[in-house]
Order: sequence, then structure tokens, then C-alpha cells
Amino acid sequence: MKTQRKDADERLLVEAAQADPARFADLYEIHLGRVYAFIAGRVRNRQEAEDLTSQVFQQALQNIRRFEWRGAPFAAWLLRIAANAMADRWQRVAREQGDPPPGPPDGAATEDIERRALLCQLVDTLPADQQRVVVARFIEQKSIGDIAQELGRSEGAVKQLQFRALQNLRARIDPKPRPNTWGGRRAHA
Amino acid sequence: MPKRSLAGRLDQAIEALLGSGPVPSPPDARVRELVRIAADLRQLPRKEFKENLKVHLQRRAKMATTTVSFIREGFHTLTPYLVVKGAAEVLEFARQAFGAQELLRVKRPDGSIMHAEFRVGDSMIEIGEANEQFPPLPATIHLKVDDVDSIYERALHAGGTSLYPPTDQEYGERDGGVRDPGGNHWYIGSPRGETHFLPDQRSVTPYLHIEGAARCIDFLKQGFRAEEVMRHQTPDGIVHHAKMRIGDSVLEMGEAHGQFPAMPANLHLYVPDTDAVYRQALAAGATSVREPVDEPYGDRSGGVRDPFGNTWWIATHVKDVQF
Repeated sequence: MKTQRKDADERLLVEAAQADPARFADLYEIHLGRVYAFIAGRVRNRQEAEDLTSQVFQQALQNIRRFEWRGAPFAAWLLRIAANAMADRWQRVAREQGDPPPGPPDGAATEDIERRALLCQLVDTLPADQQRVVVARFIEQKSIGDIAQELGRSEGAVKQLQFRALQNLRARIDPKPRPNTWGGRRAHA
Repeated sequence: MPKRSLAGRLDQAIEALLGSGPVPSPPDARVRELVRIAADLRQLPRKEFKENLKVHLQRRAKMATTTVSFIREGFHTLTPYLVVKGAAEVLEFARQAFGAQELLRVKRPDGSIMHAEFRVGDSMIEIGEANEQFPPLPATIHLKVDDVDSIYERALHAGGTSLYPPTDQEYGERDGGVRDPGGNHWYIGSPRGETHFLPDQRSVTPYLHIEGAARCIDFLKQGFRAEEVMRHQTPDGIVHHAKMRIGDSVLEMGEAHGQFPAMPANLHLYVPDTDAVYRQALAAGATSVREPVDEPYGDRSGGVRDPFGNTWWIATHVKDVQF
């Protein structure tokens, strides 16, 4: 029931964005973490992940009216654009660097992507000081010393905040296995 | 030895995680679980990136709801922009030699041409009088015509000087070269037999003679998502002739040599999203000439200079404005 409801909600969001591209922002908020997680796991650095993610959402916005709802979720369509963008990049650059060719995500990768997509949203629900530590420590990869200085706290206090933030995130992640929300089926765009 | 706190042991494992080594597997299951979350957090997008991309998509969405095309009517993806001394003279030359049709002339207070637009065949060319800010940058243009010999003669009568007379070239073209009074080079050509011309090549194709053509091809691919459609080069990699497709247009280029020294050019490039392409070009090695701004004439436009000396005015047509 929950999945059906979610599909129906998403369908409304997609149709709204098709009628008025300004509504695309809602879809972006929902799917950014997912697309980014898919790409970040397959490229060499953050710059490439950001470039490709931008490309994917720009293409999606441009072609949103061409998306047809035929059972496969919107996320599958986005990830297909992402896979194509990565394949294209591989043709141009990565092949020369000896990187393996990218492919669609398999079951294990799908689980990883969904877990990171969920985390992406959960980080925003943390108390402000914990959120700052998470962003500085893991996303910006700063040292405890640097963060302590920035926040005007002791290193011990920052380690405590880091510990509590991770505990909070663990508590908020659904402990049950998450359903595969976009399956292995291909969208018909 | 004092026992470390849980937060301390966790941080020790995180230090190892953030180093370049493998993901650590601490003995304590609670710490292990939290480290796994930390490992995932490393791959989340930056907040600043998230917000910038959102703003950017909103701007694009706004553009998408307007009905104008991102290329101004009458233009194509790529238009040569001639910056010369004596722009009025060059315009008159193009009118007499090639039947150019002047569509717009905007003058400075001193009467010189700030900006003018003219059509030759099915293509547009833009031109402006050089000044201190924009020194002369004459360009090379490959002009496709039906009758090379008579146009070549007309070009000489109109004040051009010959670069080389009409010749049947082995690459499938009869062409002659003329330099106009502003120093621009015109290759006046017509396809012959098995030709290098692409079927959709228009009257005007910008031609870049540059030093480092092979590297420039890479830059164009990365900076402007250009597609390489033809490349003739020596075994040691000197590009004699290459064709790149950018959007709906073709760009030709070759390594500068002898009679054809480097002539970096000004090009006007219409794209769906100026800001994105501007950033992409900088990432590919260009330097900024001017950050994108909304122009009063209805384009959003920014400028970059590529490593080969060419200046690219990247633009998105946002709204129609009556001049």
C-alpha cells in the first residue's frame, strides 16, 4: 500500500513538472541524493560526480515532457540518463585512463544507492551542530582539529558531536530492508 | 593504558576511513556499524553544490517556460564575429563581393560600428569596429558558393587581395582565397567530386588556423561538447584539417603554418545554458573574459578565451527585444 501511495504521489509530481518545468525542483529534491550516490560510486573524484550530476538533471529537465509513465519509476529514468552520461564520459575520457566501462547498477549497488539517498535526506534532519560536524568531517573531509577551531569547541566535544550524529543517523535509518523502489526494469522515455 | 571512550574509538576508525586505506573493520560491532554510515556519508553531495544546482535548474526551468528558442531567430549555434579596423569597409566589401545583406547596424557616438549583423547565403556574420578594449581579431571564413571563379573576381574588385587563385584541390573542392580590407581571410569554395564538405554545411563555416590544433580539438570536446566528424593529420599528429560539429553548426580548423599563420578568432556560440557552458569551458582550460550577464538585447552572455587565443561569446537567447 505504502509503495502504491508513493508511486501515485510521484506520478503527480512528474505530471506537475511536465506541465510546468518550475515544479521540477520537487523532483530534484527527492532524487538528487540517489543520482549523486549512483554517480559518485563510479567516478574518480567529486568534481566529476558534480559535473555528471548537473548534466543528468539538466537533461532530465530538458526532456521531462518526453518521460512517459509506463510502470517504471521516475528514478529508473534518471539513473538511465546517468548511466548514459557516464558511458559517454567513459568513451571520451575514462577509457584512455584505463577505467572499467560503467554499467547499470546491480542489486548490491542499488541497495547502496538507496541507503545513501536516504542518508542524504536524513542529514538535513539532524540538529544544527551535528549537521555541521557531519558536513565538515565527511563531505568536506576536514580534521577534528580544524572543525574544533571553526566551531570554537574542544576536540573532545567535536568527537562527541560526531558520535551522536552517527548514532542519530543509525537510529533514523529504517532497520528493515528497504523495498527496491525502482526495480531492474527500464523506463520507456 | 586508559581505555578510550566509544566516541574516541569511533574517531580513530573514522581517521583510518578518511585516509586512503581500506575501510576499517573495528572489533566493536557498534563502532563498526557507525563507521559504515560514515563511509556512506563521504559520498554525499556538498550542500553548496546542491543549492547551486537547484538555483541553476530553476533558472533553466524559467527559460523553458518562455517560448523563445535559445538561438536568436536567424542565427545558428556558431557565428563568426569579426573585430576589425574599418568595419564599415568590410561590410561594403561583403556586400559587393558576396551579396551580403546588412540586417543591423548599431553605431558608437563617433559613428563607428559598435555592432552590425549581416547575412551571407544562409548564414549570419557579426562585426564590430576594433578599439582598445577589443583589438582587431580578423578571422578566417570558409564560404561555400556556387561559382567560385566569378565570386573570387568580384571579391578582388571589391577591394580584396588574392591569397591564392581558384584551384581544383585534391580534397574535393575548387577554391580561391581572398583577404578583405579588414584583414579577414575568405576561402571561397565549391564542392567538387568526392568532397570533404558535409551535406549540411552552410554558406559560412568559421575556420580556425591555430597553433596546437590537436589539443584544441580536445578542448572543444570538453568545453563545448563538440563532436569530431573529420580529422586529417600527419603520422606525427599535425592536424591539416578537422571538422567539429557544435550544436547545429560546423567548425573547421587546421594547424597554423607558413602562408597560414595563427589567426585566433572571435566566435558567438548559442547554447541552451550559458552559465553551464561557461563553467564547462573554464573547467576545460579556458580563461574568463567576462562572467555571464543578462544583456539588454535579450541574451544572457559570457565570454571566455581558450588556450589557443580564440574568444568565445557564449550566449543563450532569453527573450526577443526590438532594436
